[in-house]
Amino acid sequence: MLPNRPPFPPQVSVINTVDTSHEDMIHDAQMDYYGTRLATCSSDRSVKIFDVRNGGQILIADLRGHEGPVWQVAWAHPMYGNILASCSYDRKVIIWKEENGTWEKTYEYTGHDSSVNSVCWAPHDYGLILACGSSDGAISLLSYTGDGQWEVKKISNAHTIGCNAVSWAPAVVPGSLIEQPSGQKPNYIKRFASGGCDNLVKIWKEEDGQWKEEQKLEAHSDWVRDVAWAPSIGLPTSTIASCSQDGRVFIWTCDDASGNSWSPKLLHKFNDVVWHVSWSITANILAVSGGDNKVTLWKESVDGLWACISDVNKGQGGVSAVTEGQQNEQ
Amino acid sequence: PVPSLLPGEKRPTLTSPQPPSSRPPCLLLVQVSKNYRSVIRACMEDMHQAAISTRDSALQSQYSIQVSILSAMELIWNLCEILFVEAAPAGPLLLRLLDWVQLHICDVDNMVREVLSSENPSKHKLFWNVVDIFVLQGRMDEARHLLSKEAIANPTSMNMYKILDDLMKKMPVPSLGNTQTLTEMELKWQHWHEECQRYLQDGTFASNSHMESICKILLGDENAILEKKELMTTWYHFLVTRLLYSHPTVKPMELRFYAQSSMDMFLGEESSPEPLDTILMAAFEFELHQVIKECSVALSNWWFVAHLTDLLDHCKLLQSHNLYFGSNMREFLLLEYASGLFSHPSLWQLGVDYFDHCPEYGRVYLELHIERIPLNTEQKALKVLRICEQRQMHEQVRSICKIMAMKALRNNRLGSALSWSIRAKDAAFATLISDRFLKDYCERGCFSDLDLIDNLGPSMLLSDRLTFLGKYREFHRLYGEKRFSEAARLLLMLMTAHIAPCSFWMTLLTDALPLLEQKEVIFSAEQTYELMRCLEDLTAGKLNRQKFQDDDVETMKVEMLRLALARNLARVIVKEGTLEGS
Repeated sequence: MLPNRPPFPPQVSVINTVDTSHEDMIHDAQMDYYGTRLATCSSDRSVKIFDVRNGGQILIADLRGHEGPVWQVAWAHPMYGNILASCSYDRKVIIWKEENGTWEKTYEYTGHDSSVNSVCWAPHDYGLILACGSSDGAISLLSYTGDGQWEVKKISNAHTIGCNAVSWAPAVVPGSLIEQPSGQKPNYIKRFASGGCDNLVKIWKEEDGQWKEEQKLEAHSDWVRDVAWAPSIGLPTSTIASCSQDGRVFIWTCDDASGNSWSPKLLHKFNDVVWHVSWSITANILAVSGGDNKVTLWKESVDGLWACISDVNKGQGGVSAVTEGQQNEQ
Repeated sequence: PVPSLLPGEKRPTLTSPQPPSSRPPCLLLVQVSKNYRSVIRACMEDMHQAAISTRDSALQSQYSIQVSILSAMELIWNLCEILFVEAAPAGPLLLRLLDWVQLHICDVDNMVREVLSSENPSKHKLFWNVVDIFVLQGRMDEARHLLSKEAIANPTSMNMYKILDDLMKKMPVPSLGNTQTLTEMELKWQHWHEECQRYLQDGTFASNSHMESICKILLGDENAILEKKELMTTWYHFLVTRLLYSHPTVKPMELRFYAQSSMDMFLGEESSPEPLDTILMAAFEFELHQVIKECSVALSNWWFVAHLTDLLDHCKLLQSHNLYFGSNMREFLLLEYASGLFSHPSLWQLGVDYFDHCPEYGRVYLELHIERIPLNTEQKALKVLRICEQRQMHEQVRSICKIMAMKALRNNRLGSALSWSIRAKDAAFATLISDRFLKDYCERGCFSDLDLIDNLGPSMLLSDRLTFLGKYREFHRLYGEKRFSEAARLLLMLMTAHIAPCSFWMTLLTDALPLLEQKEVIFSAEQTYELMRCLEDLTAGKLNRQKFQDDDVETMKVEMLRLALARNLARVIVKEGTLEGS
């Protein structure tokens, strides 16, 4: 009486397909905070923003300003307004802002000597801070100080050959679910993870206003293409997902608050390069996309094993947007 | 649209029937369980209506699938209710199972109606089928009623009929009340069983194969019962019939043996169990966790497992074996279900309730989800805010207020932006907006949102700039009310107490001009000296910073001020030096 179903809930299906009319490969697609807007960027040098409410797709903006393929886009927290960052092969990071209903360039950063591969906004609790990873091996941190001014801190030689991905740790004091923090603002320790061409995932920590390398995570045998630090639900565990040219996706967990011992668990070995990994809001689902043209969603079951809960095969020439902060590569 | 959750209108309003503290009696939980089942039924009915009223064949088949899924859900839930919630003991257990079977094999009713409404029921080709199914389901009275028709139509079989009728009438059944113990019943049943046996062996029914088969069924002859496979349609029907006629006082823990063998006998070699069969089997085996797991796998939505698990948890049946991240299964499932609700435009509010009932992670999940609700309208924002405030989610409150303030600012609604930033207790933002107000004033010569600024009250203290804005507006009010000396005092204080930003001093001093030019002397000598000092501080500072774009205008203003101040000083010295009356 019951139809046979694949072995794991929930049922996941494609809910919408967005035709972006990009003229070339799309490298990134990001939903905004509320899931109402979609930003896409492409080798055609443009960044496009769509309104995707109620299954629709209305082009809101077509942003031109880059002189090369645009690799990533990132939405800032809405409390700072409608702000989008983009980074490109043209060595630039551009920050776009919506003012009076129109999107405009509000800042351009040209401090890198090579393609900027990744941008990631810090948790809003830290202010408006953008981390940028570049093929010149450096990571820049741009902090908004007010009045259209940005302060820059650079970590040179973060990764030899190049840095491909950056991802911020959530602004939660680990273990806060268990020990209730006092009424005052907790002492945040800013951290982020980066992945590079040296096959490493590195964790950086800010100490006395300086950024220091805190950990080196070794497990990949080829370039690390993406890292994603999972949102926290206050547990003492921190989790990072990393994916690589070697086709592997690792889930790194650290059980203690001081962040000293990270242990990797292999999620899966794919047959092709894995380009992106992305967590859902409550960090219980990981989205993975790769060169095999598939997007898969993974969930940790009650016994600690990761299982694939869906397999969304993309057809040729189509672009799919999936609800949970999904990133894909066409 | 095929819902992955149950349709909105029939959503049950309870998630946990009782707050965790009180110990609800079993009956109450059974009632709750029945409520859930009626919800499922209502959905089924809706789906069915939708299916028959649509002309789109694709939609129709989707709806029909949903109906069958819902039907399976109700079947499973009902069994769980009997075995776990009500925990029917031996005796009533069988009666409940009989009800369960009767409720879920609906084809019978159609057949029955067809036969009964025909002119000559006993001659109907389905007549014996109906009699058989009544017997198989233990519906003795109805079976006897039909048989009587056969007896009337076929007087030769009257004797046989009378005996069979008598046997059926006398069959001992477990009672629901406490009128007999199980032992008593078993004894009676044994006697009755032997009596049936005698009649069969005597060949009483030999000439009527139908009646003989019925007698065999009464004796619990498995082969005879299995012959009626097509009528029973499912192995669990077979199970219950078997129990009825071979072991009516079956104990709950004995079910598993009968269940497994029934399924094997019924399905035989050809068929293998389907998902539904596995779930029911797990239930008969009292493997609760297995039931939940299988349901999670087979059913496409979280509603069922989340609510069923919650109910079973309240019956204290789920051992809270800690899942690796420290929560229990009930909470795990409820969290999943509630998270799903948040992606729905209106159901998110229900999700809030569910999270509230998850003691371990509910709050943090709510914190994460509630920030993602699009705040399209002010009302929605206020609604979300209220939810956060009720739960002391201060971070979220601040965040939402900031977002709304930013939105208002972007749309140039300064008053709204200001009140949001006050609510967010965001000093920095309040300063920013106050600056905008002041800038507007300088450009247009008037204030917008006067009401708001006039009624700031203690929130004025949120930021220095905001305080200045409030006080500056007060100065204007005093001036308008011609309370000049108070206005003057306030004006001076704004500069001397450094409430006013340096950039604004020029404007303030310019505002002082009309006061200085009044016929009446308003500023005292001391105040005038203070004003002069302010002016000197200002011009000295300016010299250093070379702000000479409005060169001529600036110098002229300064000149005018110096002149006015000097004149005022002259007048006030005279006034203060003059004795009263002289």
